[in-house]
Amino acid sequence: MRVAFSYLDRQFTEVEAIIADIRGLVASGDYTLGAALSQFEERVAKLVGVRHAIGVNSGTDALMLALQASGVGPGDEVLMAPNTFIATLGAIVATGARPVFVDVDEQHTLDPARLPAAITARTRAIVPVHLWGNPADMHAIGAIAERHRLAVVEDACQALTAAIDGRAVGGFGDAGAFSLHPLKPLNVWGDGGVIVTDSDALAAQVRLRRNHGLRDRDTVELFGVNSRLDTLQAIVGNHLIDRVTAITDKRIEHARRLDAGLAPLREFVRTAPRRQGVRHVYQIYVVRARQRDQLQRFLVERGVEAKIHYPVPLHLQPASRALGYARGDFPACETEADEILTLPAHQDLTEAELDYVVEQVGRFYRR
Amino acid sequence: MRLSVPFVALDVQQRLLKPELMAAVEAVLDGGQFILGQEVADFEKSFAALAGCPAAVGIASGTCALVLSLRALGIGQGDEVITPANSFVASAAGVALTGARPVFVDVREDLNIDPALIEPAITPRTRAIIPVHLTGRPAAMDRIGEIATRRGLAVVEDAAQAVGARFAGRPIGSFGEIGCFSLHPLKNLGACGDAGVVTVRDESLARALRNARNHGLRDRDTCEAWSYNCRLDTLQAAILNVKLRHLERWTIAKRRIAARYRDALAGVVGVPDERPDEFGVYQTFVVRAERRDDLQRYLAQRGVDSRIHYPLPLHLQEAARPLGYRKGDFPVTERLATEILSLPIYPELADAQAEAVIAGVTSFYAGRG
Repeated sequence: MRVAFSYLDRQFTEVEAIIADIRGLVASGDYTLGAALSQFEERVAKLVGVRHAIGVNSGTDALMLALQASGVGPGDEVLMAPNTFIATLGAIVATGARPVFVDVDEQHTLDPARLPAAITARTRAIVPVHLWGNPADMHAIGAIAERHRLAVVEDACQALTAAIDGRAVGGFGDAGAFSLHPLKPLNVWGDGGVIVTDSDALAAQVRLRRNHGLRDRDTVELFGVNSRLDTLQAIVGNHLIDRVTAITDKRIEHARRLDAGLAPLREFVRTAPRRQGVRHVYQIYVVRARQRDQLQRFLVERGVEAKIHYPVPLHLQPASRALGYARGDFPACETEADEILTLPAHQDLTEAELDYVVEQVGRFYRR
Repeated sequence: MRLSVPFVALDVQQRLLKPELMAAVEAVLDGGQFILGQEVADFEKSFAALAGCPAAVGIASGTCALVLSLRALGIGQGDEVITPANSFVASAAGVALTGARPVFVDVREDLNIDPALIEPAITPRTRAIIPVHLTGRPAAMDRIGEIATRRGLAVVEDAAQAVGARFAGRPIGSFGEIGCFSLHPLKNLGACGDAGVVTVRDESLARALRNARNHGLRDRDTCEAWSYNCRLDTLQAAILNVKLRHLERWTIAKRRIAARYRDALAGVVGVPDERPDEFGVYQTFVVRAERRDDLQRYLAQRGVDSRIHYPLPLHLQEAARPLGYRKGDFPVTERLATEILSLPIYPELADAQAEAVIAGVTSFYAGRG
């Protein structure tokens, strides 16, 4: 049996309807900042429960623009955990600010208890990452941010419809960033991203900055990038957005099945403790495994596409050399990097496929 | 019946191409690959050939192309980059976004950077020159190249408006270390959304730019320099592959309209000439007109849509305030901003429409305005 990690080929049941809309767009020539984009933005805002959503070119750009619009720039420090995708850090560096790492807690997200020690006079913002779709502790992080007057920009790129006590992530901080990359539950047919915020002023800043800093056709208020979500991609998003909650519900259901199946193997593989009131949407399903590399090879040989997200913590990447960190600085992240393994859990898998994954993991440890 | 001449008519071109474009879109869907992949590689190969360069790298936009190019050349905080005061904002923003300082230089009557004014603007901090081939007309690449070589500066061509243009028989984009092209929908070669591409003469620079557009990733798990996500969408590359097949025909059509305007309007308004070593592609056809605003209003009344590229020079923009420039610093640019008017020009412009444009301009100055 082959249990694929990616599911794109199973996704496109609505292709004909989308193609019909694109056909209309292609003939119209209205490709940038068109009507479909405004409509998409309204629907994302509603889904997250915030006042504004602004479509941009990618999740990375969403983070960068949200930080810039929050006043982050050269000379500032921004706090983040080093166990995320490199884009979080790339976005901070792109603003000219300096990323300062803080280790993670048992949920693999930014540890609020370690935040205060990392705050300096230059600290300007915190970027909690809802890694793998698992919400960071926004109540504790928000309280610290308020006490120290720091901006909070949520990296919710993997976490659309994730929530804490019924409140969607992305809406806790000053702004939240989502990715619409093809592998995300709400995706477009290329790169795309969205910023959400309740602040009218921040939304206006982002709109300015995604479009060359142009206040109107001929007036440049600031030197900004070009980072508009294509109208064509918004059309795709409009067709898929109604399904996103059903998709993440299905992923949660699959994760529970894997949790239950793997429970008897807990001395070999374990997950982060599951929390009451927290909606983890399982962008990916991650376990910590003994003999991780051997397990991965064993699974791959048996058709289970197990992957690692991510094998090298950010502070140990070649690009981080200038930041001056060393191995041993973030023990929680470094340990988990050697143990984490991603198992397929996406919405289009069958129960038989999920059970096959569990069975193969069991077989590995009981050889 | 009055003939209407819109400034752009993208819908006309798109309607003609729709079957081809939709086939390309559906082929991408069937492939299921939406990030990079074959279509992007194919496009890069064709575009590199068009620009006479060994390599091209697809980027999310022309602006991003400039930012990534300057960064790839190691330009950033503390550096200065020379660029004309008369351009679209992205030329200066591309510099500012790297942390470097844009240093403006005035232009000639041809709207492009004046090579004679470049050297006085060079300081010990100057790292690069960005000539802009504005309106699709090549800048004086012989003199600019000579200055850059002698002073040890990089040249990054802002060829956002100049796909297919040539200088002294050589394609624009092949003169500098890097050539930056925009493929915005309104460009001579335009995608159905934002898109861009860079052309590169040096393979190691091409590799650096391929990494830079993709988060700085050398492979799936190794990041060698923090960077952006600035990839040309696969879907847009597929669309561009279709449109590339028509580019030469479109360029010929635009040049024919330009010649017609030039012949008919010479002596009535200032028309762009074409020196023997120049092959312009007329992204816009910009005339210099007395009583420009009145002319524009008059044309609008007759159904002829026109634009101004650009009414407010870069050094007088709010965004440029920290750079400390003032009115009077770039007299040619400032004067041109009050005279320039862009007339409708696109491959699908009908003969009768071109005639209507010409008749509008000439009758205005014949005293009927």
